[in-house]
Amino acid sequence: MFEFLIHVAIMACLYGLLSLSLNLQVGFGGLVNFGQVILFGCGTYGAAIAFSHQLGPVAGIALGIVFAVVVAAAFARLGRNLGADYWGIATLAVAEVLRILANNEAWLTGGAQGISGIPLLFGDMPRPMGPLMTLGLCLVLLLAAWWLCQRLTTSRYGLALKLMREEPQLAASLGYDLAALKTQTLMVAAVLAAASGFVFAHYITFVGPDQLVSSETFLIWAMVIIGGSGNHLGAIVGAILMQFLFAFVPFVKDALGLPSEYVAAMRLTLVGGGLLAFLMWRTQGLIPERIGGKQNG
Amino acid sequence: MIRVNKVRAGYGDGPDILQGIDLTASGGEIVTILGPNGCGKSTLLKCIAGFVRPRGGAVEMEGRDVSAVPVHEKVKNHRMGFVPQTDNVFSTLTVADNILLGARHLPVAERNERYAELMAQYPSLASKQERKASALSGGERQILSLARALISNPKVLLLDEPSAGLSPLMMHEVFAAIAEIRDRTGMCIVMVEQNAFEALGVADRAYVLSLGKVAIEGRAADLLADPAMRHLYLGGEPPAAEGKPRFAAV
Repeated sequence: MFEFLIHVAIMACLYGLLSLSLNLQVGFGGLVNFGQVILFGCGTYGAAIAFSHQLGPVAGIALGIVFAVVVAAAFARLGRNLGADYWGIATLAVAEVLRILANNEAWLTGGAQGISGIPLLFGDMPRPMGPLMTLGLCLVLLLAAWWLCQRLTTSRYGLALKLMREEPQLAASLGYDLAALKTQTLMVAAVLAAASGFVFAHYITFVGPDQLVSSETFLIWAMVIIGGSGNHLGAIVGAILMQFLFAFVPFVKDALGLPSEYVAAMRLTLVGGGLLAFLMWRTQGLIPERIGGKQNG
Repeated sequence: MIRVNKVRAGYGDGPDILQGIDLTASGGEIVTILGPNGCGKSTLLKCIAGFVRPRGGAVEMEGRDVSAVPVHEKVKNHRMGFVPQTDNVFSTLTVADNILLGARHLPVAERNERYAELMAQYPSLASKQERKASALSGGERQILSLARALISNPKVLLLDEPSAGLSPLMMHEVFAAIAEIRDRTGMCIVMVEQNAFEALGVADRAYVLSLGKVAIEGRAADLLADPAMRHLYLGGEPPAAEGKPRFAAV
């Protein structure tokens, strides 16, 4: 049970990173990114491709970040020509195209079989020290990401992001370069997501295209909306809550005497139902955004 | 100050909304752009501001072609102020924060000095500095958006329907404030308006657009007095048989 709880905590931290990344985009910048999972996938495949070419973890994280930044730059470029809603659909399309590429370009990605055998980051340590060290790393990453997001969003840059989200035309007429703001935000978010993907790949030891399905993006969206869009702590709380709920679905299944195939359906219902409930009855999420406040600088 | 030369513009792959517009505006004058809905008034203003890039022709500011310069660069480098039609204040910020947003490129000392000047000019805002902008009336919001545009001391001020949604009393107050800005600062003001009578009352010159072209241009006072203009664009009585337009029909 102890190791199971460590596993759930590690996954909660990794999803917390993804949730912070999405929250920076949608909660602060108003960037409706439906392709978030592919930024995570850049991190996982960076680690996997580096491993398959006998390169070390440093090359893996570097490769993951480079992939993610390139995809983020492509997203940002699309945003120059498309309205917010169409941009959201375009990010979903790009993510799906890249997932299909990963599924078919076996020479690079291992195709549908993926790449397995990626070494654990603390594989030479006895259990449960290895998982505990991984959890420690994840916690440090999550805290660092939270600190970074907090610093960014309480600065003049954060104010600019909120102005862009609230009134883009007005923000532009005040001299804010919206294209640059979007690009910078996507870059930061991409690095956070890639870091999560890198640790995930070295924790699960397998990377495949099935990890990049769009339902993962909507799971991250549910975490942000349930936790509280526009609030970093809310995004983390949403991720932890959803992960622990997911983890205990099998126990509920056993208690109700349901067949095993119901587990996936119950998790999807949890995501959809949770999203719907919060969108209808508590749009601000569990920890609402702090509105207003003095302008910095 | 501003010269629009045979500008064509539109959105996406759609047809040209502006079909070869010519317009000039100088310092110390208010130029108003009038016309029925869908004639391209706001598109023309967005073209001048830099939100819409012209497909043809040129927009010049102080003799330099700025057709391809985006709005944020015009604000910083060409001292342009722009006040959008609606959603022109950040309702979650205070009045003071809204105004100071317009001065973020200025040194702190100059910013504080300009802010104090504006508070003296607009006492209705001075008494509500710490209130959220959402608590202001429509007219006060419009004055607030004007004050925010003015704090950076622009040379050119573009106003998109400043009287939209205002009561007649508030409208009068806003137009009086605009005229006062021109008289005091010698600024070049270009204003798109639906309320043609009131706009012509404060403007120096006017352009009336129809289907993306300049249908009529001339001195505001002449347009206001002309029976044909009153009938065609201002909803007035038809002109008498001898009534001939005194303005330049294009």
